[in-house]
Amino acid sequence: MKKALSFFDVRKWEKDTKILCIVILAIFLVMSVFAIFKPSEADMKAQASEAMQELLKADESRAYKSVITTYNDLYFINYCSFVSEGANAMSERYVGFAGQVFDASEGTTKVVGQMVNYTYRMLGCGQSVLYGAKLTLFLTSASIVIGLFFSVFLALGKISKHKLISVPCSAYIFFFRGTPLMIQMFVIYLAVPGLVPNFNWKGLFSANDPDAVFKGAFVAALIAFSLNTAAYCAEIVRAAIQSIDKGQYEAGKALGMNHSQVMSKVIIPQTFRRLVPPVANEFIMLLKDASLVFVIGLMDITTISKSISMNGEYLVFVPALVIYLIITAFFTFLFGKIEKKFSVYE
Amino acid sequence: MTNNKTEILRTEHVSKSFGSLEVLKDINLTVHQGEVIVIIGTSGAGKSTFLRSLNQLEQISSGKIFINDELFLHRENNHTIEKIDPIKHKQLMLEMGMVFQRFNLFPHKTVLDNIMLAPMTVKKMKREEIEPLARKLLAQVGLAEKADEYPNRLSGGQQQRVAIARALAMQPKIMLFDEPTSALDPELVGEVLDVMKQLAKEGMTMLVVSHEMGFAREVADRVVFMCDGVIAEDDTPDNIFTNPHHPRLKQFLQSIL
Repeated sequence: MKKALSFFDVRKWEKDTKILCIVILAIFLVMSVFAIFKPSEADMKAQASEAMQELLKADESRAYKSVITTYNDLYFINYCSFVSEGANAMSERYVGFAGQVFDASEGTTKVVGQMVNYTYRMLGCGQSVLYGAKLTLFLTSASIVIGLFFSVFLALGKISKHKLISVPCSAYIFFFRGTPLMIQMFVIYLAVPGLVPNFNWKGLFSANDPDAVFKGAFVAALIAFSLNTAAYCAEIVRAAIQSIDKGQYEAGKALGMNHSQVMSKVIIPQTFRRLVPPVANEFIMLLKDASLVFVIGLMDITTISKSISMNGEYLVFVPALVIYLIITAFFTFLFGKIEKKFSVYE
Repeated sequence: MTNNKTEILRTEHVSKSFGSLEVLKDINLTVHQGEVIVIIGTSGAGKSTFLRSLNQLEQISSGKIFINDELFLHRENNHTIEKIDPIKHKQLMLEMGMVFQRFNLFPHKTVLDNIMLAPMTVKKMKREEIEPLARKLLAQVGLAEKADEYPNRLSGGQQQRVAIARALAMQPKIMLFDEPTSALDPELVGEVLDVMKQLAKEGMTMLVVSHEMGFAREVADRVVFMCDGVIAEDDTPDNIFTNPHHPRLKQFLQSIL
């Protein structure tokens, strides 16, 4: 308990951890300063050209709007665009930053404007902050935790001397590592309701819940991801268990412990540090595999980026890459900390 | 002299083979309370295998093992003949403590936790119950101040002393030492042997596989010479070292002295 708490004790952190925190804090502060001087929404909208202003005024009195106005506010920077349709098609784009409004019709400012727009849509999807990233993160984190939990039993099962235990465990691992995750997800999402009478995934949630379909699909995806990663992690755990010196097992036995006591008190705790690098690897792979959820109608970072790319604009993937890199950097850092924590005795 | 003392361990016709290779052939040995027996012999003679067979780290092919004059194991042709009540079996098993050549301390636990782990998990003792004994044992092996260190911070000699304390924490009646000083730097051997001598003086029954002839001569009540899986000679250290009979023993003593 004492050890677990010391992990959160800022005074005991490594120097580079402190530097990293300071850097993040500094970036946040700088962004906050820019946020104070950011032009307001009204300022941005006032930038529209006279012709556009007229169209906007005309729009007020009719049901069908001829101008599509977009306003994206990304904390320290904002973006506003007016696109009119019909006979006099016009488009104007503006980026607001540090008290200035920039015309974003071409050149660097155009790219910046697009980035703001894409990032805003990707993160918020217009409604909930970090929608796609949240799904990706939650799906991968939850499935790695669930998968890792089951993988310990699968690994112990696979190295068991009893055929009745080892054969099913080996078969499970062989099947889930030998078939594509996408098909596994498909089968779980589509075949399970067919096989189980009176069951469908959205039925897990109340009929009044407008998101029941998505939540149901998410549960199916979570099950598929957990089952799949359990198989991969089982091999990682098995290798880690078998890499522990045989003398450790013998010492436990000689002290009168039975198999499960030796495993749980002596062998498995020693595998933790060795598990961290390969599990981190598996986690990062899974993070990117999360895009497969599109087959059952869910949207993650990749699929949201893809969906907002109109006319094949490739730049839409730049914010996606940045989000992936931020998530990966955070978890690389976290796994590094965990590894260090488990290697106090080495 | 030792005959009227209580018997702790007895093996009858213990044999062990790995496939067609016979490592132990018909080993009969009786250990009485308070006796220190040192097993010597050439490498590959089956000394370690014999010791490891006693607490079932190796499974014997045939023979009987008695502990406290009660049947602990009876096997013939690689099958257990008489089923011993598991609780009884475990109880008898706990009468033996073992110290390994490579110490085998648990690296993820501090010295104190190493000592307390088995009493807490096997005997279900509370931390408060076992901690005084664990600290006392640590003081006994001269490492009281190392209680909160991790094993990798200790020298080989210190690790082996912790391993001895760890085995003693289960309060065994007999201690098995499997070449306890073979993995140590020469200057660290002494500290481990001193602890073992102290233990012998306090009346612990000990079965030691060792190449330390000085220790055997000084501390042992009996020295057993094994070669080719049999006990070739079993006598007092004086007789073994000054008046060896078996030609292989003569050869062995010549080569090491």
